[in-house]
Amino acid sequence: MDVKYINPFIMAAQSVFRTMLGIEVTLSKPVIKTNRTTSGEVTGIMGLVGDRKGTITISFQDKGALFIYKTLIGDESSAINSDVVDAIGELTNIISGQARKEFEKAGINLKAAIPMVIVGKEIELNFITTLPIVQLPFNFSVGNGTQEVMFLDFSFE
Amino acid sequence: MKVLVVDDFATMRKIIKNVLKQINIENVLEAENGKHALTVLGGDTVDLIISDWIMPEMTGIEFLKACKNDDNIKKIPFIMVTAEAQKDNIMEAIKSGVDNYIVKPFTPEKLREAIDKAKAKVGK
Repeated sequence: MDVKYINPFIMAAQSVFRTMLGIEVTLSKPVIKTNRTTSGEVTGIMGLVGDRKGTITISFQDKGALFIYKTLIGDESSAINSDVVDAIGELTNIISGQARKEFEKAGINLKAAIPMVIVGKEIELNFITTLPIVQLPFNFSVGNGTQEVMFLDFSFE
Repeated sequence: MKVLVVDDFATMRKIIKNVLKQINIENVLEAENGKHALTVLGGDTVDLIISDWIMPEMTGIEFLKACKNDDNIKKIPFIMVTAEAQKDNIMEAIKSGVDNYIVKPFTPEKLREAIDKAKAKVGK
């Protein structure tokens, strides 16, 4: 996959975490996703159409999702509930919106669909494409020296 | 300062409230669309309006026009929030009298800056 299709997603994730959450994320080595399941336990999904088309998913383990909820909304939750799900959906929306802005700079205009959120571990999730699915693992600190990961998976053509 | 946050999505209202809290603004009223916001403004006074763009029943632009055509509320600084830096939308908002706009994602500092500029524009 052309690197010009990867960088907008990296820049979007880093920018949104920095501005909306006040958190710096560190990108680990991108990999090609080979399994057909969700990468975390709370997964936001967004379809993109326009000059190109693709799908992105943003996935957190429970602890990461709860930390994101607390940081984004200012409330605490001890379990994944509808408020946490909505917050991850909105984060998916904002990250995809930022990625679209980055693509626009390269002359690629995209529109977003409505985000969806799946809750559950290793839920079967199939990208219906022959193209590779790129996984970008972003590490972030949730305090007390603990690290969590946001997996941003996408297929884009 | 009392702020009216208008967005059809409750989560986004909570996010904006959380950002406002970080710049020490905690007196916040909420409305889920322009029509609801006009009802709120009919019964309460606010110092600032922060509104989403796309909402059912009455969009942000329609709400903006309604505010700027009403002598009782047209001096309230009005900021529009958008997820996309769509130039056409922004131009329409500027023509309709918006006092400032902010593009998501934004930091508390950016919001503070947007508020100060909007207030200055209406002479507050």
